[in-house]
Amino acid sequence: MSRLKVLRDILAVMTNEFGVFRRNRSAIVISLVVIPFFFTASLGAGQGGAGTTFRPTAALPIAFVDNDLSVASGRLYETLVRSEMFNRLIQGYREDNALAALGKGSIYAAVVVPKGFQDRLMANQPGTIIVYVDDGAPGVGNAVLSAVNATVQTYNPTTEIPTSTYVEVEGFSTIQIVQKGARFSGFALGLTITMSLVIVFATFYEIAGGMSREREEGTYARLLISPISLGAIMIGKTLYDLGLNIVRAIVVLGMAIYVYGARPNTDFVTLLAITVLISLLTMGFGLLISSLGVGVRAVVIIEFFLILFLFAFSGFILDKELMKGIPQIIATYLPWSYGIEIFKRTVLLGAPLLSLTFQLQFVGLSIVLFYVLSYFLLKLARERLVG
Amino acid sequence: MNPLIRDSTAIAKKDLKQLSRDPLSLALTIMFPILLISMFTVISGAFRDSHAVPVVIADLDESAQSKMFIDELSVSKLIRVAQLVQTEERALETVKAGEAIGSVVIPKDFGNKLLNARAAFVVLQTDNSKVTASFTVIRAVADRSRELLNKLNAQFNIRLVSVDVVPRPVSGRPPNGDFILPGYLGLITILGAFDDAVNAITRERERGTYTRLVLTPMNLLSIYGGKMAAALVINAMRTSFVLMIFVLSGLVIQGNILLVFLITSLISMFTLSLSMMISSRIRSSATLTIMEIAITFPLFQLSGAFSAPEILPAGGRAISRALPWTWGNEALRRIMYLGLDLNAISADILVLAISIMIFLPLATLLSKRTM
Repeated sequence: MSRLKVLRDILAVMTNEFGVFRRNRSAIVISLVVIPFFFTASLGAGQGGAGTTFRPTAALPIAFVDNDLSVASGRLYETLVRSEMFNRLIQGYREDNALAALGKGSIYAAVVVPKGFQDRLMANQPGTIIVYVDDGAPGVGNAVLSAVNATVQTYNPTTEIPTSTYVEVEGFSTIQIVQKGARFSGFALGLTITMSLVIVFATFYEIAGGMSREREEGTYARLLISPISLGAIMIGKTLYDLGLNIVRAIVVLGMAIYVYGARPNTDFVTLLAITVLISLLTMGFGLLISSLGVGVRAVVIIEFFLILFLFAFSGFILDKELMKGIPQIIATYLPWSYGIEIFKRTVLLGAPLLSLTFQLQFVGLSIVLFYVLSYFLLKLARERLVG
Repeated sequence: MNPLIRDSTAIAKKDLKQLSRDPLSLALTIMFPILLISMFTVISGAFRDSHAVPVVIADLDESAQSKMFIDELSVSKLIRVAQLVQTEERALETVKAGEAIGSVVIPKDFGNKLLNARAAFVVLQTDNSKVTASFTVIRAVADRSRELLNKLNAQFNIRLVSVDVVPRPVSGRPPNGDFILPGYLGLITILGAFDDAVNAITRERERGTYTRLVLTPMNLLSIYGGKMAAALVINAMRTSFVLMIFVLSGLVIQGNILLVFLITSLISMFTLSLSMMISSRIRSSATLTIMEIAITFPLFQLSGAFSAPEILPAGGRAISRALPWTWGNEALRRIMYLGLDLNAISADILVLAISIMIFLPLATLLSKRTM
């Protein structure tokens, strides 16, 4: 009988949450359409489709200034053009003109081949080229320098330019790097983080913001002192938000697969299981924050910084392995970064979910910790109210 | 005095006074840039001083040259040789299991090929699900390969073809300075303006004073003009504060500082206009803030704050160019780093000004309709 009552209470809380949600048109639009759509579309806009190999320097106007005017410098130009990394390599600039044009938007870099380039190569000495970059434009300098460095690896001044990227530069000692390992498009890499961001962003606000709003409206106290058990309230809210998260995950995945051509390397059930894990983690944290009695405005501020932390320390900008000091500590203890790692290893590398034991344990323990802590804090709040 | 200016001034004074009486909002307005800059500084610090990435090596050649190559890889600051393994399979397994980010396999005949003017190769397996770490491994192996060739050239006079790329940045920023500082300022301006709009319109609506304000003999344009003037004062304070932090941390602003204020004011005005337009549909301040945060995060990528539109794919470039914020961020960079003058940023100013002229009347019109 009491078990049935708990189930009925859970169902009542869940139905109430859905009812409130259904009546709020802007919440439906923001939660189920705007957030998944905005995040996925901006990923597509920033990274291109999942099947495309995007080269950031390909469409960048770059001046090629040849002060050597030799066969070797001519072949360097051809090597750069044929690499497909420099489709807008412009000849005809003088060095001073190119420098004057940099920073004004007409060109973003200038590759200068100095006099004596061929002579140095023929004397078995390294040739030197100078690359001026508009480093005021963020990311351009690194992109251009990486592309030039990669291309000159295949440069041979003595033979005709080969058509393939892998070449044996005859008559010279070289070290070619044969790269192995599955390659992923920027979209596929970003999708794992976007999925997590969408879930965290919406879930945290729905749980913590929802409870804070209830507190501000006065219905929270009534709910706490009702005969419904605290566990039933927490489970009811959790189930309601899990439902919304599954819809959101389907929206993001649907867009990623049908609009941007993404091909996740795992099955749908695994994707849903990871979605549920990250949702539970965020809900636990949301319940914990709301049990501290913070207002809606504070929830919004915490949400902003939570998302910023995820952006910064979950491998979206920089991998955890590269971090040192404070960033490394944050990345190590941020449970969401393990959730994102689970997404990456399953969706990209096709690893079975259950093989990621450490990550699963970390996320699982964090969920339990958040829920237990928030249960006790909410219980204290209830006792204070009743008392 | 012109009634429009008189009423706008009165509204601006009221809003500023109201902010000074609300310690939480005032603290947030001041603390927000500090918190954001601290966060960005921690993130940038992680980039500048990164940890060495673990790699494993399988030396199948075991020649003097392969040992030299291992020594070269060991001295790299970018990677750390975590383990030497016996077989190629073991090396690959280590990467698959996530124990290392990369494995370098030196095949048989590596040293012999190098000494006989032939192409030697190494097999590099990387965990490409970790994009920056795998890229670091590739870069380190390429750098150390070049270094090995130069050493072998000096020792055995081998024939090599090597091209050194000398980078020369053109901006006035210090070589170790952050290329995204103007982007920070742009983003702080955008986020601050969003928050100012929430304070100015939605919270007023929630308090119930907005209706009374609209029912006064002032016209709606004066009300919006006044609110915008107050927000511009706050924005100027915020800009000064951020610039002070930048200058104290060693940044030299190359261009005219007044132009920096002009651009942040225009970015702020555009953001406020857009925000006022959205607030005519979304009445709750919390929902509006969430909506604006949802808009802001994609802006990190698309507004030119952290990556130039030119290095985005075609679709992203088009979206980025269509956003007035991108023009503002670009103008800030040109002034702060390249020291360019008003002429050089006139197109950016024009785009921002036209956008404000479109969005501000639209916001007023939509507000009138929803009353």
